[in-house]
Amino acid sequence: MIATQSALELKGEMLMLNVLRLQDVDIKLIEETLQQKRNEAPLFFVQSPVVVDCSNLSQEQGKQLDLRALRRLLVRMDFVPVGLRNVSNAMLAASMTSGWNILRSSTKHPPQKALVINTPDENARVTENTSTEEQEQNEDAVSTEPVSEDQVNEAIENTSLTSRQKQGLIIERPIRSGQQIYAKRGDLIILSQTSAGSEVMADGSIHVYGPLRGRVLAGVKGNKKARIFCRSLEAELIVIAGCYQLLDESETELKGKPAMIHLEDEKLIIEPLI
Amino acid sequence: MSKVIVVTSGKGGVGKTTTSAAFAAGLASKGHRTAVIDFDVGLRNLDLIMGVERRVVYDFVNVINGEATLRQALIKDKRVDNLFILPASQTRDKDALTKEGVESVINELKTDGFEFIVCDSPAGIEKGAFMALYFADEAIIVTNPEVSSVRDSDRILGILQSKSRAAENGDVIKEHLVITRYSPERVDMGDMISLEDIVDILSVPLLAVIPESGSVLQASNSGVPVIMDIKSRAGQAYMDMTARFLGEDIPHRFLDIEKKGFFKKLFG
Ligand SMILES: Nc1ncnc2c1ncn2[C@@H]1O[C@H](COP(=O)(O)OP(=O)(O)O)[C@@H](O)[C@H]1O
Ligand SMILES: [Mg+2]
Repeated sequence: MIATQSALELKGEMLMLNVLRLQDVDIKLIEETLQQKRNEAPLFFVQSPVVVDCSNLSQEQGKQLDLRALRRLLVRMDFVPVGLRNVSNAMLAASMTSGWNILRSSTKHPPQKALVINTPDENARVTENTSTEEQEQNEDAVSTEPVSEDQVNEAIENTSLTSRQKQGLIIERPIRSGQQIYAKRGDLIILSQTSAGSEVMADGSIHVYGPLRGRVLAGVKGNKKARIFCRSLEAELIVIAGCYQLLDESETELKGKPAMIHLEDEKLIIEPLI
Repeated sequence: MSKVIVVTSGKGGVGKTTTSAAFAAGLASKGHRTAVIDFDVGLRNLDLIMGVERRVVYDFVNVINGEATLRQALIKDKRVDNLFILPASQTRDKDALTKEGVESVINELKTDGFEFIVCDSPAGIEKGAFMALYFADEAIIVTNPEVSSVRDSDRILGILQSKSRAAENGDVIKEHLVITRYSPERVDMGDMISLEDIVDILSVPLLAVIPESGSVLQASNSGVPVIMDIKSRAGQAYMDMTARFLGEDIPHRFLDIEKKGFFKKLFG
């Protein structure tokens, strides 16, 4: 791991969340753009925690923004709304009454994974699918088709996936920053490392035999029995069935150690891996 | 058999062009017919570092557009036999590079009997960098001992193994790590990431560590690849790099005595 103090500062906690930077307050327009993005990068949306950044909105726009509708929209689109950032004072009251958390601002270094509404040039940054190699080998590996709402809801309601469980997907190469891998309907087994800035997801459990450094999302369609196993726990973000935890905010003493993570009463439990 | 080798990093200013020039000159000086291509269209400087900027008549884009033959555009180095430079255009933009165009140039170099084709990538992950890596058989990842450089290298490694032609064909591009501008003193002070940590983060086999050295700037100002400055530490490190790439077993140098113990444990 990076030992220098500056390394840790540069990393920044917001880096681990998706950021939706609004340029417009028209919910219809936001929905259309998100829909378009979802078609391009379906995996980005599955139970992904998101922070809404309002720094590009004028005072006037801020007042017009229907925060309730925005929240409903995000939930409907499979995001997990975490909070608002850079809200103007004019928006504060409305934010609170509509059930949004207000997050501390950090404007200087915009996170890498910003999903910018209305500026197509930056769209390319949103996601980068993993290697075509895996796509060809296993059609269930990486979904390039949009995951429909129905599919997701169905899966969430019917958490017992065992009947449809497919055999696991095994990845031998490292998963690098900017790459995403998704094992649909089964477990994901990674023999190498996952880098900071990467994202590994599975409908089932995830096993990582190299250092686990990126974001890790098990049970993405709601399987609460899904678990995460790793040889060295260095993940940025841990998610099981939508319940998430930033490792930096966790008290666990297992950072950098072998660990197993499971869900108990909506809480992530990190245990030593024996 | 010819090999296409991309020198890439994601981040700018880390030493890709310095490394491309030194490495290509090193391969040529060992008797291998080598061409080095500048993919940084619009911001060419390989020709400058190699001291041939006043000999540029035609460039890479001219050849792609059929405005010149490859033979006309290739500049033969006057100091090192077997070394040829294909300069980038200063006046076009990156859209001038097409997959078909780049492929035909690379194929012609192969037919011409070039053993090594070194592709000096521009910074970023946009078109120019993509074109430089697309046809690669092997990749030299240039990294500086700092967080953002290491992160960008990680990112370009992902692109390399997912978006290149090799990846499309289910093959794996061989990766080599070259850490440049390494300063053991600054690592000790905590200003820079250590060698071991970089290798640990990227998990790519280490080919060479090039020390921070004033002779690099001097060499490029006088248009001489630093590898020809055999008295400089950077020049010697690049010589080692070339030899190691060609299969020789040479220990790493210029790493600070204290670090050496740990390092040897890691890499034998
Ligand atoms: N080992 C080194 N020691 C000192 N300066 C270096 C070293 N390697 C590169 N540089 C300097 O860093 C700058 C960027 O190098 P360059 O090769 O042009 O990078 P890139 O092609 O990646 O943009 C140049 O000014 C160069 O002289
Ligand atoms: Mg350069």
